[in-house]
Amino acid sequence: MNAVKEIIWSVINNNINLEAEKWLEDFKQSPDQSLQVAKVFVMLPRKTGKLSVAINEDQQKALDTAGYGYIRNWTIDRLSRVWLLSNLSLPDKEQLYSTLERLFLSAEVNEAVALYSALPFLPYPEIWVKRCAEGIRSNIGSVLEAIMENNPYPAAYLDEAAWNQLVLKAFFTEKNIKLIVGLDERANLQLALTLVDYAKERWAAGRQVNLQLWRMVGRFINAEIFEDLKIGLQHYDKTEQRAIALAVAESECQPAKDYINTFPELKLALADGSLNWNSL
Amino acid sequence: MCCSSSIARDKATMGEPEAFDISAVKGMKFFDPHVHMTSRTTDDYQAMADAGVVALIEPAFWLGQPRTGLDSFRDYYSSLIGWERFRSSQFGIKHYCTIGLNSREANNESLAEQVMEILPLFIYKEGVVGIGEIGFDDQTAAEEKYYRLQLELAKEAGLPVQVHTPHRDKKKGTQRSMDIALEHGLDPYQVIIDHNNEETVKEVLDRGFFAAFTIYPFTKMGNERMVEIVKQYGAERIMVNSAADWGISDPLAVPKTAALMKMRGLSDQDIELVTYRNAITAFAQSGQIDEADFNAQADLTEKFEGNTILRGGQQPRPDKSSIIIS
Ligand SMILES: [Zn+2]
Repeated sequence: MNAVKEIIWSVINNNINLEAEKWLEDFKQSPDQSLQVAKVFVMLPRKTGKLSVAINEDQQKALDTAGYGYIRNWTIDRLSRVWLLSNLSLPDKEQLYSTLERLFLSAEVNEAVALYSALPFLPYPEIWVKRCAEGIRSNIGSVLEAIMENNPYPAAYLDEAAWNQLVLKAFFTEKNIKLIVGLDERANLQLALTLVDYAKERWAAGRQVNLQLWRMVGRFINAEIFEDLKIGLQHYDKTEQRAIALAVAESECQPAKDYINTFPELKLALADGSLNWNSL
Repeated sequence: MCCSSSIARDKATMGEPEAFDISAVKGMKFFDPHVHMTSRTTDDYQAMADAGVVALIEPAFWLGQPRTGLDSFRDYYSSLIGWERFRSSQFGIKHYCTIGLNSREANNESLAEQVMEILPLFIYKEGVVGIGEIGFDDQTAAEEKYYRLQLELAKEAGLPVQVHTPHRDKKKGTQRSMDIALEHGLDPYQVIIDHNNEETVKEVLDRGFFAAFTIYPFTKMGNERMVEIVKQYGAERIMVNSAADWGISDPLAVPKTAALMKMRGLSDQDIELVTYRNAITAFAQSGQIDEADFNAQADLTEKFEGNTILRGGQQPRPDKSSIIIS
């Protein structure tokens, strides 16, 4: 993590002026950060500006390798705030927790985005689980995106119930499902059942289903889910059918596989390997 | 003895509904520097966006009934910089706010004391463009005390002040508000005196303050009177707002007034000043207004290329003319 923080600092350095750099470094050196952190955190965009960050090729490569390549889409104030939070030196875990909790409680939108974006970079990852689950209850789009998209923290630390809530809410709020980190690794039966119910609700309302939903269902297809999939295969459009076929291909459910083979077009698409979750 | 006559509403007292023709000011953009969106519906946001309102300021105010504890103030301030800001962005309107302890609630002194302690937590937040709306209501000693304390806070933070002037005894209340602001060493150019009328405007302008006018049916300014004021005093340092809130008010007051000004022959330049530019000039002294942010919606696709999903949670438009809701 320290190597990553150093690259981040080098990116920040390239994107702010000398005055802002000195201001951030002064804070980092200051003997008692707890008194100043709230003010520094709030005032930060006034010093750094709010432009999108520019990242050079070497930095991008290093970040990609470490799994944080996505920060190239951030603005400089967001990146600097995350850096600031991840480098806090407070006497102990309790102080760190209470300091950040206070920031969360009075956060405006961009502050909240930065706070949740910082979760993967904070020490004592286990103490932020509840806060992350609370964030998923937000209705503010950009806050949800900060938690759901390109954020490795939830998949690594949330319990199953909170994780499932995150995925379900991402569908409900039309987030970019492909950007959820750990989607395939954390697929589970309970989530698959809930998502199938959700698909049936959408069908009943005459609405479409996000095709990525079936990606989390495949491995858990059982006799009960199979019955529901038949409805989708019989009544819905080609793209929906292809997504369901792909899910079935990933399953162990032989009756479902046999059933798919009765659709020549689907059988062919699966056989020639042209179907995958990213192309859907 | 209620509603026994008929379900049909009484047109004689409630009036006929009217359509508003925006075409006179089509393509113009507006800034409403005083509107309490917390009390308004999504229809209002949609209508404001359609009429050309690109940005607004929501002053912290009274919620219609008094708050009884500190936490409800804290949550209210948080909602102005959080949820309401997001809600506004869904309709492509940039939302700013001013933060302050309003005059009515200054009269609950033990609570006011606590509110003063949390104000510094909020006034430096992004998009907080001033201290407001503060000033006098009943013109009590407690109101004066907290008005003064908040003027000091504004001075320290270098923020503009949005001053609510009282409905009752307005002229004296307005004079007193200005006297006190000057006594505390504020630059009148950093102070926006709100809810002016024909009786107050001259002195406010002569003393170098910004003069805001609230176009609000029945109780404050009407926009025909507003046209006359601009004709008489010119457009310098004058701005109009809707102050739309939980009462019968009109969130389209700014574009409607612009349309009327156009029809009554005011120049485009003057209309732009009083319905857009002057408010920006006044509140941008906070360093928190960047006009480039007003059109943030436009570059959404660019910023997140290759992603067809609407970003930022923009709201689709329902077909209001259809009886079918789908
Ligand atoms: Zn007001």
